[in-house]
Amino acid sequence: MENSAINGQTSWTKHGMILFRFFFVYLMLQAIPVDVKFYEHLRQINWWNIGFSDIFNISRYTRQIVNSPVTPDFWGINTFLDWGIMALIAIISAVFWSFIDKRQEYASLYYWLRVVLRYRLAIGIIAYGFIKVFPMQSPYPSLSELNTNYGDLSAWKIFSLTLGIAPSFETFLGLVEITAGLLLLYRKTVFLASFIILCFTGNVFLSNLAYEGGEVVYSLYLLQFALFLLWYDAPRLFRLLSLEKPTLPNTFKVTYPNNWQPKLRLILKGIFIIVFILYGVKTYGVYRKGGYQFPLKKGAMREGFYQVLRFSYNGTNLPFNKHDSLRWQNVVIEKWTTISIKIGRQLEPLTSNVEVIHENDVEKGYEFSGTAGRQYFRYEFDKSKQHLVLKAVDGDKGESFLLNVKQANNDTIFLNGINKNSDSLQIVLQKVDKKYLLEEAKKGGRRSGLVL
Amino acid sequence: MMNTQLTQHTHQMLKTNGVEKVNDKTKKKDWTEVEKLAFRIAFIFFIIMSIPWNWKWYTDLFAIHWTGLHYRDLYDIARFQPSFPVLSQWFPDLYGYADWIVVLFLAIAGAAIWSVVDGKVKNYNKLYYWLLVVARYRAGIGIIGFAFTKVLPVQMPYPSEGLLNTDFGDLTQQKIYWLSIGIVPWYQVFTGVVELLAGTMLFFRKTTFYGAALLVGALGSITFVNFAYEGGVHIYASYFVLYGLFIMSYYIPRIYRLMISEQYTVPINYYPTFNKTWQHALRFGLKTAVLIVFLGVLFYVQLLNFLYDPYKQPSSPGVTKLRGYYDVRAFYLNNVLIPDNPYDSLRWQDLTFEKWTTMTFKVNKAQRLDLSNGGGNPIRDIDRTFEIAGVGGGRRVFHYYADTVDKVLYLQDKNIAAAAFKRGGQRNDEGYPNRPENKQESLTDNYPEDWINERAWRHIGDENKMIDPKGTTARRSRAFATLPKEVIRRKMVLHYEVSNDGAFVTLKGLNENRDSIRVELIRRDRKYILTKSTLDAGQYGKIQ
Repeated sequence: MENSAINGQTSWTKHGMILFRFFFVYLMLQAIPVDVKFYEHLRQINWWNIGFSDIFNISRYTRQIVNSPVTPDFWGINTFLDWGIMALIAIISAVFWSFIDKRQEYASLYYWLRVVLRYRLAIGIIAYGFIKVFPMQSPYPSLSELNTNYGDLSAWKIFSLTLGIAPSFETFLGLVEITAGLLLLYRKTVFLASFIILCFTGNVFLSNLAYEGGEVVYSLYLLQFALFLLWYDAPRLFRLLSLEKPTLPNTFKVTYPNNWQPKLRLILKGIFIIVFILYGVKTYGVYRKGGYQFPLKKGAMREGFYQVLRFSYNGTNLPFNKHDSLRWQNVVIEKWTTISIKIGRQLEPLTSNVEVIHENDVEKGYEFSGTAGRQYFRYEFDKSKQHLVLKAVDGDKGESFLLNVKQANNDTIFLNGINKNSDSLQIVLQKVDKKYLLEEAKKGGRRSGLVL
Repeated sequence: MMNTQLTQHTHQMLKTNGVEKVNDKTKKKDWTEVEKLAFRIAFIFFIIMSIPWNWKWYTDLFAIHWTGLHYRDLYDIARFQPSFPVLSQWFPDLYGYADWIVVLFLAIAGAAIWSVVDGKVKNYNKLYYWLLVVARYRAGIGIIGFAFTKVLPVQMPYPSEGLLNTDFGDLTQQKIYWLSIGIVPWYQVFTGVVELLAGTMLFFRKTTFYGAALLVGALGSITFVNFAYEGGVHIYASYFVLYGLFIMSYYIPRIYRLMISEQYTVPINYYPTFNKTWQHALRFGLKTAVLIVFLGVLFYVQLLNFLYDPYKQPSSPGVTKLRGYYDVRAFYLNNVLIPDNPYDSLRWQDLTFEKWTTMTFKVNKAQRLDLSNGGGNPIRDIDRTFEIAGVGGGRRVFHYYADTVDKVLYLQDKNIAAAAFKRGGQRNDEGYPNRPENKQESLTDNYPEDWINERAWRHIGDENKMIDPKGTTARRSRAFATLPKEVIRRKMVLHYEVSNDGAFVTLKGLNENRDSIRVELIRRDRKYILTKSTLDAGQYGKIQ
């Protein structure tokens, strides 16, 4: 196999042939979605109104032989166990194949394997590229997140929030991915693309390990393709750059015996480009509407950070106490239908460290995953009756409040009602015009002598 | 087998006509006029960029005590970039790149003269080789100086207890980025290894290309980060990108020919031949010296720094039984109890004693903030400001000297932006890089000069000696031999009392206005969901 890498005309060695048969079966199993489970998912897509999340999920196909957790929005990612099974199948196939097949070389098959892997890798890398180019994967932190202690955030959440505060950097990272993906489409730049991907996705892989992310396996899945693709050109480049010796270029040219074949090639490539553009346009559309990590429905209450002036529980006024599990300390009303409350109880954080695109607001859990400082509620506010209903989405999920709202003035809100145990509550919220250093520092620069 | 086959094949091809063409294309004896001019500009440009123009660089070099070496001695040697304020002041700032433009103009002017003098030369193959040597070593040494502060992770420390209790929105962008690397020390090691690898590969001809490619990738990303997060070192980061691109550009034509044009490619390099023994000895000696100093010695002194005196965080251990996170149970100001209310502008909340000599707490009162990156290389613990620089949210950070015999803490505010300067006192940037240029009036200190009396000093001891003797360096001792910078900081003198089980602490004494305070603290076992560091710098003894 290595020989052919230098020159298609040199003969393949015996062990090179066996190795190739193994990799051919193994990588095809990994990359080609001939897979009942996958078609189950595809069947549920409304093809006439395909969403960007559908394309994203298709792009993240991995063969799951062993059952893995799957939801309509999350199609699952395979595990190393699946990889092991595929490798085993590949070993057995390679043995049988070696007995049956008497061919002398696989230059052409190698070419086609590379074509499959190039496109599989391009799809994977571009899908993630677009959700960064239009900075949605890591959105700007919510007001609740700005009001959470650094130590009450998980490493993965901090990673995402940190990227979120620099959308230009996120866009840049996305552009690197898309550029690499597009370079894969052109045979002669595959070496460059796979090198970029090895560096970029290698970094993603290590970040997943370091920040306890959930896409260790998937990033490695893409990396194995990039490594295999670079393997083809690596000896050539090594010879030229390190040995500094005269080097032969790739001489293998694919031949199309039939007239229709080049046409089919063009059509397929065209379809790929069209889907690429479609996905880009769809992603941009979602970005324009506000992304996918936070709920989209606008909340009816006034957004802001509120201090709790008074908190009366069953008629008793509870003074401020950081460790009181009942008394509210402060309240954030988000732009959308989320309210988060700081209470004295430490909550068990939810962890969702895999990228999942949810269609419905109810399921969008980004804001309260990987954080323990506040309790999150989704709210419904009936403006005519001034009724506010809060339902917990993390921590004690049974928690709920039924409250009557009285707007004393622009900034002060009286809440009067009950919790889930029908304990009566009287709460006074006062909006605070809180200034965040994160935002204020940007306005003046380093030497502004900011007072905050 | 493959190699012999291919070599034979190559020999065959060398005899055929095809090779003549190859030679014509790649092995050009004569350079075009444009190529020569471009080279002259590039040559002068990169030579100017590779020479330290600041006189201080040389005095620092000769002031190094090689027997008590501090990592910063070598770091400072490795770190320089051209700065010609006399000339660059006439240009627009251009995000700080004006100095580069100045160098470019100098290079163009120089190249013009050079072209007149040296018009008949055929090529600059030899000079090109030596320029690449200069660029490779300049970039390699420079990046390795940076790399070791990450390989032994001290550049971005793990957040202190006070930082963990600061809201995400109360940090500057720069701080957030630096902390995001600080929370994953092993990842920081990895980024250091990448830079180290890039630098090391630049020292060897056969790996130069990979080193340059890695340098462009890694430092390109860091440049962007510095723009996006206002990190402040975008110019120095892009300095390496420029070098990396220049070095890569030597190899790109041949890669293009082999991979894109898919033609037989013969790499032709002009390597100088050394005939004389002294030439070999000189080359070998210089190379070995660079490798020993910047890979061996620098690693060793950086290791000492990591272990005993991590430069971004205070290195003296704090009072052991005080360390931890506390709630303020009761707060008396001039004997009046102030009720618990997070919006009170006087009452303290959320108090921490760090593992080093720092106490922090929160007060809901605006103060002038230090927006620097908390970098530089301060020696005294009070000047090591990573835990306060770029931090808002009402967090107060005080350095303390502890008299553990009489149980008194002598505290000084670490926030340099809130400090005042003595009349006529030194206000230059030297001591405090990135210090905000506040127009604060000079004040008189409301504490007397001998606020720490002799008896107390005897109990406190010598700060220089508070770290493990293995961390002693000439630079550290020299800094402590001179007086601290004359600034007026907010001060407090607090007597402390700890209950037997350590659950309660009482602080009693005078605050920054010399009002009497009494603070009753209750220790809390604060659980963070952020994973604890598994690779800690410094020696702070065991926590009780």
